[in-house]
Amino acid sequence: MSVLVARDVTRDYPMNGEIVHALRGVSLSVSPGEYVAIAGPSGSGKSTLLQVIGGIDVPSSGSVELLGTRLDTLDDRALTRLRLLRLGFVFQRFHLLPVLTALENVELPMAEAGVPRGERRERARSLLDYVGLGTRGSHRPTQLSGGEMQRVAIARALANRPAIVLADEPTGELDTATGADILALFRRLNLDGTTLIVVTHDDRLAAEAGRVVHMFDGRVRS
Amino acid sequence: MGWGFRNLLRHPLRTALSLAGIAVAAAMLLDMVMLSGGIERSFARLLLSRGYQIRVTPAGTLPFDAEATLPNASRIRDRLRADPGVAAAGAILGANVHARRGDSLLTLFAYGIEPDAQGIYEVESGRDLHRGEADGLLLSGAAALALGARVGDTIRLTGRLDPQLAGSGADRTLVTRGIVRWLYDYRGQRSVGLALGTLQEMTGRAAGDRVSLFMVKARDGVDPAALAAALRRQFPGAAVNSIADLVAAFRVRMLYFRQLSYILGTVSLLVTVLLVATLLTITVNERLGEIVTLRAIGVSRLHVVAQLVAEGAALTILGAAGGVALGLATARYLDAILTSFPGLPAAFSFFVPRADAIALAGAVLICTGTLAGLYPAWRASRLPIAATLRAEAT
Repeated sequence: MSVLVARDVTRDYPMNGEIVHALRGVSLSVSPGEYVAIAGPSGSGKSTLLQVIGGIDVPSSGSVELLGTRLDTLDDRALTRLRLLRLGFVFQRFHLLPVLTALENVELPMAEAGVPRGERRERARSLLDYVGLGTRGSHRPTQLSGGEMQRVAIARALANRPAIVLADEPTGELDTATGADILALFRRLNLDGTTLIVVTHDDRLAAEAGRVVHMFDGRVRS
Repeated sequence: MGWGFRNLLRHPLRTALSLAGIAVAAAMLLDMVMLSGGIERSFARLLLSRGYQIRVTPAGTLPFDAEATLPNASRIRDRLRADPGVAAAGAILGANVHARRGDSLLTLFAYGIEPDAQGIYEVESGRDLHRGEADGLLLSGAAALALGARVGDTIRLTGRLDPQLAGSGADRTLVTRGIVRWLYDYRGQRSVGLALGTLQEMTGRAAGDRVSLFMVKARDGVDPAALAAALRRQFPGAAVNSIADLVAAFRVRMLYFRQLSYILGTVSLLVTVLLVATLLTITVNERLGEIVTLRAIGVSRLHVVAQLVAEGAALTILGAAGGVALGLATARYLDAILTSFPGLPAAFSFFVPRADAIALAGAVLICTGTLAGLYPAWRASRLPIAATLRAEAT
């Protein structure tokens, strides 16, 4: 059984007075525990595909079924809850809250999910240990390097034990050495059983994946 | 997790400036709330300070017009005191008298009083005059200072100056018995008090037994308004006013003050709304990426709204707290300036600090500031996640 099934998904949106056809009939299926890289040049639609399958964008046509639920049947509240509890997001620019410490940033999704304070603190600490930042919990994002911030973002994505982690260019803002650390972390994550869908145009990151989906001009090439 | 509140610390200077702006607006609002009701309350409190609820004055005048007088004072007083609703009634005469200090002639305002029924002074040192004490004298602090007099000193007062003879008439030598605070004096007023009969003789008002006004205290359980109405019927040639009548007349005269305070209070609320809304709009626009990321990772719209509204509310509460202190300080300062105007009783206040006024101003401001944060917060919670992330990436 697939954790994700996208069928003939299109996504059009207006930009500068013109309609952009970001996705032109994309179909994709991901099995549990799979590590899928979505690769392709800029403007090929890979980030849009990630947003659509992650329920933060709505397809113009076609359907997305996530963990057995068709996303178009959910209202905003249910969709938000699904993202909170079943998905983990990692973004290129980390987007941590600068006013919270690393530990508090990791706790945030758990607090939203109603996890008791003591339990979420303990889990946040163990997640920071997992990503190698056990001693940096009290630091604010501005006191961390780019690689460290991305690792905190990954710990945050894992906070509510998601079924799938979706990452959009997670090494895009990092230098080569730091990017390699993140690659290793993703590999470990997948080995520990997390389903990963990673959008990248980093060949090294794509090479780590079990399957690479190539996109071009809004379509899947292979 | 309180990230909204903590966000205020992200830009300390901006937050401090906004807080200062809100504090100024809050201070203005508080002052206007105090001003709108304060003058009236202060006026009523002043008139009632010794419990005399009714004034009987010459028709067409309000207390205290020293030129207009009522004749046959003893008869009126006896009739007033005979009324079963009256607990106390005392006559007062106001007139100018003069005293020598070295080569100078000082003009003093004199109150002719009946010490057993008076509502216009409080003894600060020494003692009050005894009933019928014709040679006793009470001085205001300013008069004592100007005359260089203390309790026990003898003062010679002149009731009338005769310009043709360049001399004086109706002189009396009086003994200072006490230093008193005259409740209706303006700041620094040189006032003296002496027995009503003595002042009448000195100023030529003994003939006709003339006085400026009567102050009347109703017995416990007697409605002052009803008593005033009854006295009005008994003395059709005089003006009989209860404190409520005087306050009502005063309210009409002070209408423009209230209107001004409402307008300025509204302006201060608008300023607060604009400050909070502007600050939150700026902060939301700066944090679009952050906010949509929160939405993307599953933070609810309600939580986003709550955090941003809390940010606005925190800003308003802190600003309002500063505004209370600032408002009370400015009210005190303005009061000191306004009550130093000649002719205005020093005990009068334009700004009366009251717990309910402070609470009202604070509550209105905090509600307004919180509501002002609602629109930017609501807007932030409705941001399209994917489109905003796309825009942030470019």
